[in-house]
Amino acid sequence: MEAARAQNHQKRVAPEGQPPQQEKRAKKRKPWAPGLLLLTPILLFLFGFFVVPMLYILYLSFISTDSLSGEGASYSLSNYITLFTDSYYLNSLWITVKISLLSSLVALILGYPIALTMAKASAKMRALITLLIASPLLVSIVVRNFGWYLLLLPNGTVNTLLMDLGLISKPMNLLFSEVGVIIGLSNAYLPFMVLAIVTSLYNIDPSLEKASAILGASPLRNFLSITLPLSLPGIVSGCVLVFSLSMSAYVTPALMGGANVPVMPVVVYDQINNLLQWTFGSALSYVLLGTTLLSVFLFTRGFEKSKFKEVFR
Amino acid sequence: MTTAISDVEIKGAIKKFGSNIVLNSIDLEVRQGELLTLLGPSGCGKSTTLNLIAGFLEADQGEVFIKGKKVTKVPPYKRDLGMVFQTYSLFPHMTVYDNLSFGLKLRKIAKPEQKKKIDRVLELVKLSGLEQRYPRELSGGQRQRVAIARALVVEPELLLLDEPLSNLDAKLRHELRLEIKRLQKEIGVTTIFVTHDQEEALSLSDRVVVMNAGKIEQISTPTSIYKHPKTEFVFQFIGKSNSFEGMVISTDQDRIMVQAGQEVTSVSWDNVIGENRTFQKGDEVKLYIRPENIHISESQEAVDGYELHRAKITQLNYLGTSWEIDVAFMGKSLQILTNEYRSSWKEGSEVFVGWKPQELKIIRKE
Repeated sequence: MEAARAQNHQKRVAPEGQPPQQEKRAKKRKPWAPGLLLLTPILLFLFGFFVVPMLYILYLSFISTDSLSGEGASYSLSNYITLFTDSYYLNSLWITVKISLLSSLVALILGYPIALTMAKASAKMRALITLLIASPLLVSIVVRNFGWYLLLLPNGTVNTLLMDLGLISKPMNLLFSEVGVIIGLSNAYLPFMVLAIVTSLYNIDPSLEKASAILGASPLRNFLSITLPLSLPGIVSGCVLVFSLSMSAYVTPALMGGANVPVMPVVVYDQINNLLQWTFGSALSYVLLGTTLLSVFLFTRGFEKSKFKEVFR
Repeated sequence: MTTAISDVEIKGAIKKFGSNIVLNSIDLEVRQGELLTLLGPSGCGKSTTLNLIAGFLEADQGEVFIKGKKVTKVPPYKRDLGMVFQTYSLFPHMTVYDNLSFGLKLRKIAKPEQKKKIDRVLELVKLSGLEQRYPRELSGGQRQRVAIARALVVEPELLLLDEPLSNLDAKLRHELRLEIKRLQKEIGVTTIFVTHDQEEALSLSDRVVVMNAGKIEQISTPTSIYKHPKTEFVFQFIGKSNSFEGMVISTDQDRIMVQAGQEVTSVSWDNVIGENRTFQKGDEVKLYIRPENIHISESQEAVDGYELHRAKITQLNYLGTSWEIDVAFMGKSLQILTNEYRSSWKEGSEVFVGWKPQELKIIRKE
């Protein structure tokens, strides 16, 4: 991940003399042979239970049939053509991307201040916050979503409170809406965001803050000019994590959005398990995968080519 | 000295971290335009003192003045200082030029003026042409030059250097040390330099402040710190020394007669170290001698009126410009630094050693 790379770079303070370029020469030997042997079991496992099924699904996505029995099957692009011409599926893809982007954004806005607090806290405080941050991961996702039900239902805690305060006159549609899914997803994946950002905050040399202060930078200026740009690797990897997890999330959108928010994983599930459209479902899942990979690639690439490119080296 | 010519004044500063007293009532004045070194072992409070001046720490008691202005509670970013850190602390996401313009922008200096100042300071530190490099692309020495330039470009009231050479190799350290001295004289900025390296302190400074355990032991010029140490700590910390234990047998107006082993030697009153300057018959004392003040020779012929005594070489170390010779003398090991080396000398050789009585320092054993 970017965070790890940044760490390597920053720890490598050249003590003197020449810039740190001589390392490459030392890598002539091939110490990977025993390493490969150690990796064999997991590589075999991944090949058998991940690569092969993925390839099989890819193969299925190019088969079109008219009947459930599979008669008259032929190779064609018709699954993909249907997908990209039917507004229902395109809309589903758009909703998925939109919800994932917004969930990442919400997690970022909520998570950054927590990460900042953690990075500045004492070791004890840090351990406590880490525990609090990670605690949602200990609760089953189904249980957690039903917890949200109590809060977000039309007669739930949030709506009742807002109506009692006179801020709204009738209950808002928090549940079974995009808002509900975004609340659920950003809550579920917040720990990933916080931990990614905090890692890159740890890697910032604390003397940089002193250096900027002595040059006349107020704490706010220091944050904007030094801390924020240098934590970009953490922000990017946090966003990539939350975005990818949100793109493929099934349980939370299904429970918090229901039929009103047909995100891609829910649609894929429907196609395969309820409508038994294995081949079309396969095509849908590959389009979802492709969209995720492309978005992540463009997002990270954009940052790595930006004026902050030096931060990512 | 009056406050009018002191750029920094610390009055009665006390700093505790928990129950650990880091600064135990420090009083310090830094004169305008001087290069003052804070020297001491780690944990002596030298960095804490610097941080009080920079504003990164606040004293529990006492006041700090910069140019006559009380700054005890002023945050660092309002103090208008320049500082160089041990770890360079360049902003890694900014080019050399952006690192240098950072402070100028905050001072709202116009762009063309910024460029002029940056060009001038880069020339000063001999880094012209590297404006567009990132810190990663520079060597350690170059990075520290940029850090110095970044501190100087804002024309600060004071220049603070926190062990700036400790991360560099010996050759570069020497080179940059000379350069800091040259720059400081050229610009005339009042400079406070923190180091644990006595050679650095002695060669750079106008005055040296030797600190130990949260207290100032001595403030003086490098030569007088070395030649006239005020306390035993200063004597032991600066340079190397050999010590003997002895007992006062008599005193007169000029000298103190001391018996050490079978030898009787006399020490001038000028060579007494420490506050306690009264000696009586029977007092236990310590005698000190610097390795370079011990004469070593093959023959027992007296030199300049002082006696030589038999000793045996235990170790020979070649240091390039001189020899470090350990000898066994009166049942203990004595270190000698000399140019008078004979190629016939080996470990186990019999030699004769001696010293001028005026080179012996004496201190009362507590």
